[in-house]
Amino acid sequence: MLKSIGILIIAAIIVYIEVPSLLKKKYKKELIVFSIILTIGVGMSIAHSFGKSIPNPIDFLTFIFKPLHDAITR
Amino acid sequence: MQKVKINSYQFLVLVILFSIGTSILVGPSALAAKSKQDAWIAALISTGIGLLIVWLFTKIGLWFPTLTFVQMNETLFGKWIGKFFSCLFVFLNLLFTAILLYYSGSFLTTHLIPNTPMAATNILMALILVMAVRLGLETFARSAEIFIVIFFSLFILLVIFISSEIKFENIEPIFERNIKDIAQSSLLMLVVTSVNAVSLLMIFPALINQPKQAKKSFFIGNLIGGLVVSIITILCIFVLGSDATARQIYPSYGLAKKINVGNFVNRVEALMAALWIIGLYIKMVLYFYATALGIAQICNLKEYRSLTYPLGIIVVVLSLTLFSNVMEQEQFDTTIAIYISLLIGLLLPLLMVFVYAIRKKQFKKDGGS
Repeated sequence: MLKSIGILIIAAIIVYIEVPSLLKKKYKKELIVFSIILTIGVGMSIAHSFGKSIPNPIDFLTFIFKPLHDAITR
Repeated sequence: MQKVKINSYQFLVLVILFSIGTSILVGPSALAAKSKQDAWIAALISTGIGLLIVWLFTKIGLWFPTLTFVQMNETLFGKWIGKFFSCLFVFLNLLFTAILLYYSGSFLTTHLIPNTPMAATNILMALILVMAVRLGLETFARSAEIFIVIFFSLFILLVIFISSEIKFENIEPIFERNIKDIAQSSLLMLVVTSVNAVSLLMIFPALINQPKQAKKSFFIGNLIGGLVVSIITILCIFVLGSDATARQIYPSYGLAKKINVGNFVNRVEALMAALWIIGLYIKMVLYFYATALGIAQICNLKEYRSLTYPLGIIVVVLSLTLFSNVMEQEQFDTTIAIYISLLIGLLLPLLMVFVYAIRKKQFKKDGGS
């Protein structure tokens, strides 16, 4: 619990640093991409802090490339 | 979007540190695992073939001297297919940033600060990573110019100090392994040093003052990087022997432990660890820069700086969750990572060459290149 509060505080600090200047320059698209990435990041870190397993790209890549590797090195 | 440009010398420095980057830390053991005392031959072979790959990259880069790799994709393959390939490219860079962060974390927590949790070292490292990318290409290119002086003075010191420990019989018998083992391990080296340099196409040639000289720096940088790694590999085999080299995760660190000049200069490995931290850091910054700039260009954003903090969070979390231990990481690096790198770093450029050859006339007509 404490960890996720810490993560949210860090996210709030990042928003405080970035968003005002983005709003001032009227960068709408930047703001959307920024929010998406920040949401993903915060979601992942909170899930990790609760000890939940988050989707691991390594497993996915291994699933794709393992047959190829086996076929080559056999 | 990005007006800052660096000169060809700064690019040379970046290429050298990029090619040395991780290979100096884990290269020797990965090479020696398969080709034993002939690892140095594999290192030299991969340096030679690496130049061919760099030639391919410079060729592609100089077709469109004002575009980065992501923009080139869109120009060559059209909007949507280009964006798809660029997404793969950016994903690769993000993944490698996280993997390198894991490297630095596991190196520090294994050898230097064993009681610190890996999260702490990774967050600290990610902070300076984000800082460098936010300040921009020119700033970290300049800092790399300073780093390279430190790097090479430490490297020369290491070579001089260790030269008294060399045992020539460790390298015999030369060429005992069959050619297949040597080829396999040199492929691994080639991927780490040269094929992954595809990320540098985000900088070369769009953000460089003199693209023509920069082409030369790309070659020279890659060659120097390859030679440094080869020298480290040779020294590891000379001093530690091939078995000990293959057994250790960080054989070059073990090499630094062996330094003993007159029972006075010894245990200087923490100083030498600066070598690996510098190399890792610059390589990580370049990957991270390619990620941030790549995402910004895929989405047609005007600036990439606002993306760096959120990406930093993702990178830290990924670095903590990707591997549960070093063995998994080693397994991934020697098998799956090679295919991903080859896919993005070799197959995609070759596909670009193919498409360019077909659409050449069209680009000439538009006055594109």
